[in-house]
Amino acid sequence: MARQLAMVIDATKCIDCKACVAACKVANKVPEDQWRNWIKHENEVPRVGAAGGGKARFQPGACMHCDNPTCVAACPTGATYKDAENGEVVINEGLCIGCGNCIPACPYGARFRNAEKRKADKCNYCPERRAHGLEPACVDTCPTKARVFGDINDPQSEAGRLYLANKDRLKRVAALTDTKPNMYYLGDLGPEAWGGEAVVPASMVAMKQSAPLIKGIVALSGLGVLAMLGRQLLAGSDHKEDGDA
Amino acid sequence: MPDSNQKLSRRDFFKASGLIAAGAMGGPALLGGLRTAQAAPKAPAWTSGFSACDMCFNKCGLIARVEDGVLTKLDPNPKFLKSRGMLCARGNAGISHVYDPDRLKHPLLRKGARGEGKWQRIPWDEALDMAAEKMAAVRRDYLPCGHLFSAGSDLQSQFVGRLAEVYGSFNITSHESLCLVSNSRAFLDTFGEVPFADVLHSKYIIMAGANRFEALVTPDSMDLMTAMREHGCKLVTLDPRYTKTAALSDEWYPIRPGTDMAFMLALAHVIIGEKLYDAQWIAEKTYGIEQLTEHVKQYTPGFAAEQCGIPAEDIARIARELAAAAPTSMVYPGRRSSDYEDSTQIRRSFAIVNGLLGNWDRPGGLLAARAVGLKGVPYDAPWYDENHEDRIDAETVPMMFEHEGSFMVTRDAVLADDPYKIRGWFIYKTNPMATAPNRKKTIEMMNKMDFITVVDIAMSDTAWFADLVLPSQSYLERTDPCSGLQGSSACACVVKRDPLIEPLYESRPLFDIVKGIAGRLDLGEYFDFTMQEFRTRQLAGLPGAEEILDRDGVYYNPSKVYGIYDGRVYKTLSKKVELYNQRYEQMGIDPLPVYTPPAKVPANQFRLVIGRNALVTQGSTANNGLLHQFVPENTLWLNPEPAERLGIADGDLVEVSSAVGRQSLKAEVTDKIRSDTVYMLTGFNSLSTMQHLAHGNGASIAEVLDGKYDTVTGNAALHQTFVTVTRKVA
Amino acid sequence: MQRKLMLLAASALVMFMTVSMAFALGDGNGRKGKFLYRKNCRTCHNGATAKDLSPADMTQAEWKATFADMSKIKCSGDWTVSEEDVNDIFTYLHDYAKDSPSPAKCS
Repeated sequence: MARQLAMVIDATKCIDCKACVAACKVANKVPEDQWRNWIKHENEVPRVGAAGGGKARFQPGACMHCDNPTCVAACPTGATYKDAENGEVVINEGLCIGCGNCIPACPYGARFRNAEKRKADKCNYCPERRAHGLEPACVDTCPTKARVFGDINDPQSEAGRLYLANKDRLKRVAALTDTKPNMYYLGDLGPEAWGGEAVVPASMVAMKQSAPLIKGIVALSGLGVLAMLGRQLLAGSDHKEDGDA
Repeated sequence: MPDSNQKLSRRDFFKASGLIAAGAMGGPALLGGLRTAQAAPKAPAWTSGFSACDMCFNKCGLIARVEDGVLTKLDPNPKFLKSRGMLCARGNAGISHVYDPDRLKHPLLRKGARGEGKWQRIPWDEALDMAAEKMAAVRRDYLPCGHLFSAGSDLQSQFVGRLAEVYGSFNITSHESLCLVSNSRAFLDTFGEVPFADVLHSKYIIMAGANRFEALVTPDSMDLMTAMREHGCKLVTLDPRYTKTAALSDEWYPIRPGTDMAFMLALAHVIIGEKLYDAQWIAEKTYGIEQLTEHVKQYTPGFAAEQCGIPAEDIARIARELAAAAPTSMVYPGRRSSDYEDSTQIRRSFAIVNGLLGNWDRPGGLLAARAVGLKGVPYDAPWYDENHEDRIDAETVPMMFEHEGSFMVTRDAVLADDPYKIRGWFIYKTNPMATAPNRKKTIEMMNKMDFITVVDIAMSDTAWFADLVLPSQSYLERTDPCSGLQGSSACACVVKRDPLIEPLYESRPLFDIVKGIAGRLDLGEYFDFTMQEFRTRQLAGLPGAEEILDRDGVYYNPSKVYGIYDGRVYKTLSKKVELYNQRYEQMGIDPLPVYTPPAKVPANQFRLVIGRNALVTQGSTANNGLLHQFVPENTLWLNPEPAERLGIADGDLVEVSSAVGRQSLKAEVTDKIRSDTVYMLTGFNSLSTMQHLAHGNGASIAEVLDGKYDTVTGNAALHQTFVTVTRKVA
Repeated sequence: MQRKLMLLAASALVMFMTVSMAFALGDGNGRKGKFLYRKNCRTCHNGATAKDLSPADMTQAEWKATFADMSKIKCSGDWTVSEEDVNDIFTYLHDYAKDSPSPAKCS
């Protein structure tokens, strides 16, 4: 079976300390006030005494590297693709023209336009760290080890072990568009269905539906021009000093 | 999981089917030829080095990644058991601390009035000459004890103590009397030492006066989650706020602030009244059960219910559950106990319940300190016969810790010149202007000084009012002594720090600074060593430790965790756990905690409580560029009921005023706080304009809080201030 | 109890017989005692010549008992300090004993 890198998360362990969010920002030099990952809240309504309802839940999340990635379909240049080997949804920055089509195409709001690079950005499971044999920054730094990362198809990995052992109770965040996310929560995940609707430009859909080749040609031929134009227009226009530079 | 497809409109359906079609035709494989255009990312050419974090007091083991001489990432050291291999948001933000554009860059000499912000850059030699000259002048004019020394929590702070002692002053204060000395006092005076809570193995924990899932303490915070999630530990939290700890607890009670002692004494009442304790253990290991039995008769659950606002039946049930889980249960001792004027006695009531549970020195209970094996490096300070006999803060409170002092008592004594004058102040890495209540008084105290030298990494408010400001190095730029740490059952270990990057600007380590000053005062012989030599002496009893430190970033000295006191006597007067404290009796202090109801909140006022969270370490993080993005300002938590009465909406600018000061900040209208209490985070609104993110941002607790202190230890009492809250018209 | 009484009696006897010990132990200058201890005692009690000593090695009662009969302190014959100094040293050791309100930390 092909590899599928994924996260298996125990949301009941999350204390909402934001260590994962901070670690991600530093590891990936995410610009000021932009974020690749998050912690969602639920049930934070005070409940007094023993008779109260369920505990509050804090749900860590990020790009879910979906099996049906609507963002891929929205990308006009092929910069965003689902990696066949590892199952990651990858952004090839060299091809990204910063058009922003993919941003509303993600029902989980995982994507944004990097304010400095002017390219699409999101969680990429920290490939530079993995090349060093390290876990993604958010996983490595987590105080309660709520996030477990790895190949869920590999029963030898911790993620695979958790995935296989808990298959019946694993949950995913539901969205109006089912993108088959690869972020699994053990049991109580807190907010369950906050995902929105994937909004993909109709032109992209039509193009892909009718003549997939056209897209390829357009992408290839227009690529250089678009990339140059994109850089001219966007790069460095209101560039901010990074806080940690 | 809801079936989202059922909710799709026709338009959605078109889109969705289009996507599915695209997917069926190959989707991602569509541009397969381009997929390899991006080569697999290369491993960055970083070098890695061990250190210990300094973004709060916990000292978590870390691994720094450095590329081309620049720090790019701080990661947890997985071999560091005390922190359970984690690094929190502040730890990650260490990089923003080191590269903060507002860092002090060179020595600065004050030119205008104190606090005016006019500075002149001077060379280091001139700065050290001046510091030494002024210190010599203070010693000449006011005796050696006429100079005050203050140092915060830091591996090099011991050298401030050494400088003070060889210079001739015993007036040294730490940050601890603005934080936790009353808690240390209470547990020391009950068990003979300050315990470590074995949270990991506990089955039932009462958390009062502590917020472990937000105010992180290693390994307690992580262990608490593991205990709850994997060992079925029950957590009961008492807090006037619905903190994240409260939100994750099995039970939460919004206790009336200042009544925790009534709750604890009622627990004792039930446990003793219903004989729920281990009679043999109590007889063998404790002193004073008879007196305690008599004393707690008056503190029924019904009495406590009226005081605390917690139902009597819940109090009784919790007492029974706690006792049933004993000895693997505890009242969590907590840490910051700078809250009330009787905070030592409040924490004594916590300690006494633990005594009744028989959890001392046992799994899931309170653990004794383990020796790490580091050696002290002795020195022979000269004797100054001309000095006054005692500290300036001596004898105001009966049980101050000699080596910590009391900042609050010291400040009063300095202002009154009683019993003598203090006119010089050397301060390293502590910021009483931001942490001590009643900032106006701290300013007065600073105005009283002939000369103040501050060594810090940033222009803190304390530095802002100094005469000479010397830039110190961050924890990642310097060589530090070894330090022994204990983490509950996790470890007793040694850490050290080595420079991981070249020091920025003209910054110097504190050690070099005090060495330079001492040399100029003809006291150079007391600093006649290098840091490496110092460490070698510290590690003399631990052969091979240095190599292990270099290899793992941490050295463990395995030792017994439980039953340390088997066959040994406790370090108390009675040689037992002192439920009843004999020394207190001798000294005229209540030998058993006597409950006094807290002052009633006056009409139309609120009790102000303060705290921190996992993203804030008081004033030292308010200017951190990364953490600022998480907590851009502090807000005033205000319950919706009084908010409506006062016409205050969420986000409105409000003025908070007390008897000593006023501040403005945004209201956060929330039902996560009692209606008689308001709350704000510490660390915001610095006066120093050289803290761009902290200056003029939010509200300063120090300006509003009243300057009371614990009558036993002199620990600041930060929860005894009443404030009015009014909406500010823009 | 009996042992305690005997100890008390013995110490009273010593006090009585030693003319130079006319004043009671305690209430000395502990701060000066620390200086005198470092100067006079630590030269040997350094972990090499004689064992390392800290006030926190004993309880206040144990320090009292030790100093009650100084002839039992092996090195006392070599002491060159005055009685007042001995009292200051005792005060230092006693006031920072392991069961004291401020137990000594290392060095």
